[in-house]
Amino acid sequence: MSKNLRITNSKFIDQTSRISFKFDGKTLYGFKGDTLASALLANDIHLVGRSFKYHRPRGIMTCGSEEPNAIVQLGNDSSMTEPNTRATEIELYEGLEASSQNCWPSVNFDIGAINNFFSPFIPAAFYYKTFMWPASFWEKYEYFIRKSAGLGKSPTKPDKDIYDHKYLHCDVLIIGGGISGIIAAKTAAQNNLNTVLLDDKNNLGGTTLFQNNECFKINNTYSSEWLKKEIESLNSFKNLTIKTRTTLAAYHSYNYLLARENLTDHLSLIEKKDKIRQRLWKIRAKKVIIATGAMERPLIFNNNDRPGVILSSSIKKYIDYYGVKCGQKISLFTNNDTTYETAISLNKSGVTINSVIDIRDKSNSSIVKEAEKLGIKVHWKHTVVNTNGYKRISSIELMKLSDDGAGVVGNKSKEECDCLGISGGWTPRVHLFTQSGGKLKFRDKDNIFLPDKSESEQISIGSCNGDFELDDIIKNSNKSIKEFLNLNSSDYENLEINCSKETDKKNIWLLPSNKPLGKTKPFLDFQNDSTAKDVKLALREGFKSIEHVKRYTTTGMGTDQGKLSNMHALGIIAETAGVKMGELGTTTFRPPYTPLTFGTIVGRNVGEFFDITRRTPIHDWHVEKKAEFENVGQWKRAWYYPINNESMHEAVQREAKAARDSAGILDASTLGKIDIQGSDASEFLNRVYTNAWSKLEIGKCRYGLMLNEDGMVYDDGVTTRLDENHYIMTTTTGGASNVLSKLEDYLQTEWPELDVYLTSVTDNYATVSICGPNSKKILSRVIPDLDLSDKEFSHMSFKNALIDNIKCRVMRISFTGEHSYEINIQSSYGKSLWEKCFEAGKEFNITPYGTETMHLLRAEKGFIITGQDTDGTITPVDLQMDWIISKKKYDFIGKRSLYRSDTIREDRKQLVGLVTDDPKEVLEEGAQIVSEANKKPIEMVGHVTSSYFSPNLNKSIALAVLKNGKKLKGQKMFVPMKNKTINVTITDTVFLDKENKRLNA
Amino acid sequence: MLNYNSPIMDAKNYSGIKISVTESVIKINLRGKNRDFITKIGKELSIIPPTDPNISSGNEKLNILWLGPDEWLLYSNDKIDFKNNNSLEDRLFDQISKVKLGSVTNVTDHWVMINLKGDNVFELLSSGCPFNFNDFKNSKGAVTQTLLNHIDVIIHNKNINDLNLFVRRSFSIHLWSWMNDSARFI
Amino acid sequence: MFLINCPYCGERDQSEFSAGGEAHIVRPKQPTELSDDQWAEFLFMRKNIKGVQLERWNHAHGCRKWFNMVRNTSDDKIHAVYKMGEKPPIK
Repeated sequence: MSKNLRITNSKFIDQTSRISFKFDGKTLYGFKGDTLASALLANDIHLVGRSFKYHRPRGIMTCGSEEPNAIVQLGNDSSMTEPNTRATEIELYEGLEASSQNCWPSVNFDIGAINNFFSPFIPAAFYYKTFMWPASFWEKYEYFIRKSAGLGKSPTKPDKDIYDHKYLHCDVLIIGGGISGIIAAKTAAQNNLNTVLLDDKNNLGGTTLFQNNECFKINNTYSSEWLKKEIESLNSFKNLTIKTRTTLAAYHSYNYLLARENLTDHLSLIEKKDKIRQRLWKIRAKKVIIATGAMERPLIFNNNDRPGVILSSSIKKYIDYYGVKCGQKISLFTNNDTTYETAISLNKSGVTINSVIDIRDKSNSSIVKEAEKLGIKVHWKHTVVNTNGYKRISSIELMKLSDDGAGVVGNKSKEECDCLGISGGWTPRVHLFTQSGGKLKFRDKDNIFLPDKSESEQISIGSCNGDFELDDIIKNSNKSIKEFLNLNSSDYENLEINCSKETDKKNIWLLPSNKPLGKTKPFLDFQNDSTAKDVKLALREGFKSIEHVKRYTTTGMGTDQGKLSNMHALGIIAETAGVKMGELGTTTFRPPYTPLTFGTIVGRNVGEFFDITRRTPIHDWHVEKKAEFENVGQWKRAWYYPINNESMHEAVQREAKAARDSAGILDASTLGKIDIQGSDASEFLNRVYTNAWSKLEIGKCRYGLMLNEDGMVYDDGVTTRLDENHYIMTTTTGGASNVLSKLEDYLQTEWPELDVYLTSVTDNYATVSICGPNSKKILSRVIPDLDLSDKEFSHMSFKNALIDNIKCRVMRISFTGEHSYEINIQSSYGKSLWEKCFEAGKEFNITPYGTETMHLLRAEKGFIITGQDTDGTITPVDLQMDWIISKKKYDFIGKRSLYRSDTIREDRKQLVGLVTDDPKEVLEEGAQIVSEANKKPIEMVGHVTSSYFSPNLNKSIALAVLKNGKKLKGQKMFVPMKNKTINVTITDTVFLDKENKRLNA
Repeated sequence: MLNYNSPIMDAKNYSGIKISVTESVIKINLRGKNRDFITKIGKELSIIPPTDPNISSGNEKLNILWLGPDEWLLYSNDKIDFKNNNSLEDRLFDQISKVKLGSVTNVTDHWVMINLKGDNVFELLSSGCPFNFNDFKNSKGAVTQTLLNHIDVIIHNKNINDLNLFVRRSFSIHLWSWMNDSARFI
Repeated sequence: MFLINCPYCGERDQSEFSAGGEAHIVRPKQPTELSDDQWAEFLFMRKNIKGVQLERWNHAHGCRKWFNMVRNTSDDKIHAVYKMGEKPPIK
């Protein structure tokens, strides 16, 4: 690069360490401390992207998070690339590769730019208006619109970076490390408060850090020097945590805030490897101090979007902080005093300033006088009416403003330039304040929205609270902080502050031109390409609400959320509609403040930690035996155990046959178990189950059905009476925690008079279930001294036993219809007990079976699974389980609902069995049932809830819910599938061993 | 012979954190509402169950953690051989549950106890726990029930930077592996 | 994310709690004596107020106790919490 745009006196850039990077494939160099934007500018590159709609060339406009134009794609691997990152926020690192977005084939030659010539034909809502007719053409339009829409490309592969989350609790959180944030942090820390200070930049200090101007002094030193010492003094506080490179993303109610800390984005590719990239802080603060500062506004005039048009304060930061000249012949265009600080900085660094164009009539402040003293020319009461240049600004045209500011007068003059600094005043960053629920008020004198009423323990200080002069910032911040933290004094009471004060103000939202508005392009939203014309058009078309205008014109809807120029849109709307801005209000500021990558939101909840997994004590055995697992709630349950490359069907058929022919073994540890004690335990069970419990003998088990208050089946399971006032209840695997909290709810709120205590013991016991005709023989080998005779140990009863001196509970209960036992032992011995049973059963070909076979076996017996055969709309009567509803009990949960007009309807869906005409044909679960095969429209009368091929019956069986099903036994129905219709016959729900002979076999 | 199997066998060391599992301590859930219940427990164990929230009481052998206004967790410091010792549970059951003063439930294997030691234990917890440990960390004997990586846990502040954490057994392997993953980044 | 003052455990993060809908809907003592309409009133009808509402909450991942809360549903401000069985503090 022939031009030397880098000056050497910046303290913030390490010009001894050169960093190479690539932009659009070209290798370039910058220095440590640069952002991508400052490095590009130092290489005289302004053009970095194309605009969204017209594909106009766009350049770097700012130096921070509000950047609308310089958004780039990071990384060279299209599978791992990151879109929509702001060049102004990316710190330069060795190996960085970035490219322009939204242009094809290249940023310098973009075919889409043809839209720019057609732009008179692409007004606001062009797409809405044009492509809605004819409706059938939408699919054709969509292809082209999708191709030309969108910003950047999304990566195609999973994010390899590591992200983390962390909680943080503090007394005081300070957001923003500018001068007022520093004052707040030191004051809070000095008073022993647990304090956290966040700033999104890589170092603290804000813009005061490089304010080396005679007009701004504190205690007779430059404001920058004074602040530097204050920052250094923060290191001595152990109760102060400082986090730089940390952006506050969201401010929720109850002072709960989310902040994104960038840990390694600024490091070289080698240094960042295997380290956490970003961390999301979940912060709960007792008090919050917002010190987020203000954003400079652009000015809205014809062709204000050319590369080389930069915010005036950003030009200042590039020269004073990064040591980079944004141009060699710079013009400045302003409506306020701050631009004169830029002018003085540029002048001192030897950059040619053409002139300052100021729309005000005059200004008498010391900073303006200082500038004029340096010989900087000022065009008072002038405006820029046009800019020239395509890929870079080359000249501006200016004219004198009329007295009322509505038009221009006199002759046009032209000024050659390669950069134009613009400043339309300042907008307090009130985004976080409003996110937290705070309401804003409007200040007429400088046209800003300010924090008004707040909902939480918080204050806003400094320029985000509308203080723009150095003395006001320090004095008012100090006063607010003391009040907020209940302090009598602070370090910042008697400072001697000298600063320039703005004496004159003038604001014109849309600057006039010598051309009619229709012939100009005054851009409002630079990212979404909406102009002042579009907003006015929307108003002419009848839109009144700002939220509607925003969506219709897409103003403020880009990735920058319109940070830069939302205020101008509001101003123009208010002016055009003739309402006051304070009455118009603002659009809603929603989190996140700047875009978050999905990785940050997800944190480490990926891969193994995507969801919680629960394992039974016998889990490892199933893994060793190569079982396939099924997710049941959070549990990993053995699904089936394939051997010798069996398919699932083959394995299940084998397991189901073995369980009925000889013996099967099932890990039932996942069933919920609730220990119930108390003198009212029996009464409690009477109230929660549909059947009666008081007369259940000690040592006996009973099946219970639990309803919701609306009469629908909720859960089921076997409960055993261990003692007079001691029961153990089992629930379904998935229902365990809900059942417990529902029961606790009733005990605590409806029936506090009952003496009953519930304790979950689900994880305390491993449950080994042995079933089949040989189960008795196997159990007798496992527990030789237990009398297993039917007389001593009948079906539905329980025994305490010792196995190798370890206590266990044995229940003779059955979910398969086979003679079977469940042994409950404390979990630590579960795997060992399982192995012992397996060993004892080897002689009988004991076969481990999983959940799929369990489902098949119970379906053969017509036993329901709540949640599979029921769906919250099925009553016990619908299940044809009238026998379980006690007629004698006065009340139980759901009883009254069982005879509501709706629940006694005869044509409700009722549980039935189905057999297919072709016994080999297995129905699909969820398939719909119809009564007439070819009638249209089809009336669906029910659906299949469970369906299997039964190896024990050698035919297909199914359970279904069917309208009026109870009365339709023996009738034919049809199950229409995609390619055929299956004929079925309605049967009883019990397919096997209707007489229950096998239970006692 | 039945063998004892702990879900987690190893101990791990990280920068400022040691995590390990202490098994075979007895754990009993106690519930009761009235004064007699408290008195009876005090008599049987020589420890009064705390009635103030979020604290524990104990001696060199046993700890009683407050879990709620009518619920406590009792656990022993020493290992207990289950093949020969069920006496504590049986004795309490007879003295409390049988006489309708409350409930006594063995939860020894319902919970797995993980010990966390070292200067960085609270750093580890803050990776997945919404609870504010600022006061908790300095108060010996403090107890809290909260969530760690979305899993229910009970945390007992035994000593400065020496915690016992209880997690339900079925979740323990998942939580253990999450804790190890988190500890890498402390 | 609210900060909820459990009447038993003190201030905790909202993630430890679960919400249980409108408070002070008492289950009828003699449901069998109610008409369909009266039962439906208890079973289905909820006020769903925009403004100050009395709600049931459960410290599900803490002490497992249910309690009541006075909360403004439009700005989420929690005005009070009180134990089950207690009367709501006057608004």
